[in-house]
Amino acid sequence: MRRTKNNKKSTIFALMLSLVVFFEILAPAVMAADDPLVMGVFPRRNATLTTRLFTPMAEHLSQQLGREVRLVTAKDFPSFWRGVSDRSYDIVHYNQYHYTISADAYEVIAHNKEFGRSDVAGSLYVRSDSGITEVSQLAGRRIMFGGGEDAMMSYILPRYLLLEAGLDNEDYEARFANSPPNAMMALYFNQAEASGAGDILIDLPVVKRNINTAELTHLVKTEPLLHLPWAVKRGMNSQLRQEIQQSLVQLEQTEKGRAVLKQAKMTGFGTAEDKDYDPHRRIIAKVMGSEKANH
Amino acid sequence: MRLKLGLGSKFILIVVGILSVTLAANTVLFLRSQNHLLEAQLLEQGKALGRFVALVSPEAILGYDFLLLNEYAREVSLQRDVVYGVIVDPNGRPLTSFVNRDNHQIAEQVDADKPIKMTTLLSQLESEANLIPLEFAIVHDGELLGSFKVGLSRTQLTAGFKQQLLIHVITYSLIILFLSGAIYLVFRFNVLFPVQRLIRASRNVEKGEYQQIEVDSLDEMGDLAITFNSMVASIRQERAELHYQANYDVLTELPNRMMAVERLSYEINRARRDQQQLAVLFIDLDDFKVVNDTLGHGTGDQLLVKIGARLSSKLRDVDTIARLGGDEFLVLLPRIECAQEVEQVAGRLIDAVSEPLQLQPREVMVNCSIGVALYPDDGDTADSLMANADNAMYQAKAQRSSAVCFFTAEMNTRIQERLQMEQDLHLAMVREELELYFQPLVDAADGTHRGAEALLRWNHPVKGFISPEVFIPLAENTGQIIAIGEWVIRQAAMHWSKWNSRGLVSGHIAVNISRVQFQGTLAGIINDVITHYQLPPSALELEVTEGVLLEDHELISNEMKQLREIGLKLSLDDFGTGFSSLSYLKRFRFDLLKIDRSFVSGLPGNADDASLVRAIIAIAHSMDLKVVAEGIETQEQYDFLRALGCNYGQGYLFAKPMCSDAYERYLQQAQGKDEGGRPPLSMTVFPRS
Repeated sequence: MRRTKNNKKSTIFALMLSLVVFFEILAPAVMAADDPLVMGVFPRRNATLTTRLFTPMAEHLSQQLGREVRLVTAKDFPSFWRGVSDRSYDIVHYNQYHYTISADAYEVIAHNKEFGRSDVAGSLYVRSDSGITEVSQLAGRRIMFGGGEDAMMSYILPRYLLLEAGLDNEDYEARFANSPPNAMMALYFNQAEASGAGDILIDLPVVKRNINTAELTHLVKTEPLLHLPWAVKRGMNSQLRQEIQQSLVQLEQTEKGRAVLKQAKMTGFGTAEDKDYDPHRRIIAKVMGSEKANH
Repeated sequence: MRLKLGLGSKFILIVVGILSVTLAANTVLFLRSQNHLLEAQLLEQGKALGRFVALVSPEAILGYDFLLLNEYAREVSLQRDVVYGVIVDPNGRPLTSFVNRDNHQIAEQVDADKPIKMTTLLSQLESEANLIPLEFAIVHDGELLGSFKVGLSRTQLTAGFKQQLLIHVITYSLIILFLSGAIYLVFRFNVLFPVQRLIRASRNVEKGEYQQIEVDSLDEMGDLAITFNSMVASIRQERAELHYQANYDVLTELPNRMMAVERLSYEINRARRDQQQLAVLFIDLDDFKVVNDTLGHGTGDQLLVKIGARLSSKLRDVDTIARLGGDEFLVLLPRIECAQEVEQVAGRLIDAVSEPLQLQPREVMVNCSIGVALYPDDGDTADSLMANADNAMYQAKAQRSSAVCFFTAEMNTRIQERLQMEQDLHLAMVREELELYFQPLVDAADGTHRGAEALLRWNHPVKGFISPEVFIPLAENTGQIIAIGEWVIRQAAMHWSKWNSRGLVSGHIAVNISRVQFQGTLAGIINDVITHYQLPPSALELEVTEGVLLEDHELISNEMKQLREIGLKLSLDDFGTGFSSLSYLKRFRFDLLKIDRSFVSGLPGNADDASLVRAIIAIAHSMDLKVVAEGIETQEQYDFLRALGCNYGQGYLFAKPMCSDAYERYLQQAQGKDEGGRPPLSMTVFPRS
């Protein structure tokens, strides 16, 4: 009887020892083979909305790649940019300016298609009844930009247009709204004489829902530029890089993929490579200086 | 047309009115209070929203986050009772664009197909009466960033008010209906029904049915019912008393004339229906006035009561006895078989009356006369039967042979004749059929002329001379004696005046006055006559009979006093034939006393007449009265009377009554003025012993 009890204790001890060995030594090795890919999306919209928009895409990629793709959002731009700087993201989506300044760490593989277009232009808007027909007339006026100074469509490109017209920072009063639609609405509500934004902004539902866009008009546009980039971390396995690119580009070819795109308020993906963003670098260099453009 | 409303309708209208006014006032006060409260709540809601938006907006304004501002505007605008919520900058320019187009007040102001001009829309909405505009300043660090304008709608409030009003109206209407119905039912059972019962009872009283009502409550209605019953009892008693007074004789407690006529009419109808006979007996006590005058009215009343009781005791239950007035009774005998049956009853009644009666202070015996009329032979109406029975009674009194007299056809003929005579007498004065005759009166001592008694004659155009003894009672009964009497006085005065103007000394003229003429106007007439004809009052002598003095003593006494004051002479006519009460002589001061011719005719041989005349003259002289003897026809009579000291004489011995012309000639002769030269009348007519 006593012998039997000692045998049972030995069996339990052996089992517990086996578990400790498994979790402490063998499990990390097994899990390292299935590391999730981190997909970072810049806070173009608030974090909640961004999560809702891009979660289906992350799930689609997970399914296509056979490994988890974890969507990471940031409450603000500095938090997001820390992830870029730390190379925390395997896949990253941000604006053209952001790409140009992080191209040493990330390599572009695709670009957005929105409203069926692969390109987009920067624009200056004025009220239709303002009588302003030339950019130079904005001298001394208040101009509302969207986002911040790193906003490609709402600041860099409009600023570029102003520079092209010979107007530098001191020649007008620059104000920043927290988003491009708000910049355009500021113009509508007479809080500025002009606003800078992408040329398609005036047609966005979020804008048309809130103001009568017929009262606004384009004053001037930049040349068309390739849309927002999707990049992967440099040094990524080329097969994986290829699979990611294919997964994105082929989305628009299936019903399910189009649903994912619609959820993300996109119409498709186009392939892209680094040189496709050289025009952007030229403009950025004009506006921000060459150091910023070639960073 | 005036609307007639019942007590119930008025009461329910008042109740409904009071309830309506009260509940309406309550509704108004409540709804006003509630409306104020809800409006205050609405304002608080608007203020809360406004303050909150004003609190959270600065960050969005400073950050130019118009999407967020618009979200604020959207959230506010979609709140209940909010028409709009708009954030404007310090210059009043809108910073939000959201407008709730589903709001009906907005929809009324904007065109669905056109973009909205926010500034214009705000000014339009703010001017609406049904909207409460509020504005809240948006301040950050003391800097005015703008303001939040919110428009609150009273539409829901008004709709709620209307709904509440409708609920109140319906609820209170039901309450009013229920309460009014309940109150009306209470009123109906506790007031209206008793009042209607009182009305029915009152109408029954009006119809003569004095029914009392049941008292079934202890409240005011019960008191009213008790009072009503008391009133009905009083009326019933009063009516009974009135009925008794109207139909019964208070003294004898027998039915009176009215009841007698009523019962007679009833029995006549019954007899007519059953073809039966009935009898009416008219009973009059003989010499009841004597009892009254001698023993007093109290004794007379006792007599009537006892006679009434006796008569009743002799009748059947179906018979009726009534006192018609004075000493007249009427007996109604229904369902009689024959006249003999009536005669037997009448005999029993006469026997009952004639039995001695013990009255204080003495025993009295009275008799009665009964006139009988039978239905249907003597009349078929109450009036005719009573009149015929009355006439039969007078006939019984007149004939003295029997105390009972049945109405006869002959009696009817006499009545007809009497009626005809009454009509003829009425025309007699107009036709100048009346004429005065004058019978001279001489001084008994020396036979000289002293005057004359005016005697009335009626020369009927058909019947010829009619005696005063026939038509004077008729004239007295019909009242024609008043006019005839006045005519006699005026004629006598007129003749006296004529004779006087012709130098004739006619002495005085004696005129007979009927008791009927004492109406209180006689003195006035006399005064008028003597003034008109310039007649010395002493030239006129008025003769009254003892019967006159039996009437109303005070009236007669006063009028005779007035006549005496005028200066007239008064004489008591036919003394000795009536009651010859010495008390009359004492009470009424007469100048002369006339001894009736019935006593003179037996003189001087009849010892009784002689003794009586002697006594009368002695009494008259002892009372300082002159005595006139009437009906002197023989010298022996004249001598006897003159020997007894009789003052004046009148009769055929001296002269017959004569017409005025004859009397004028008589006067002329008496005064020696005879145109034919004949000696004076006194010389030949008035012998001296």
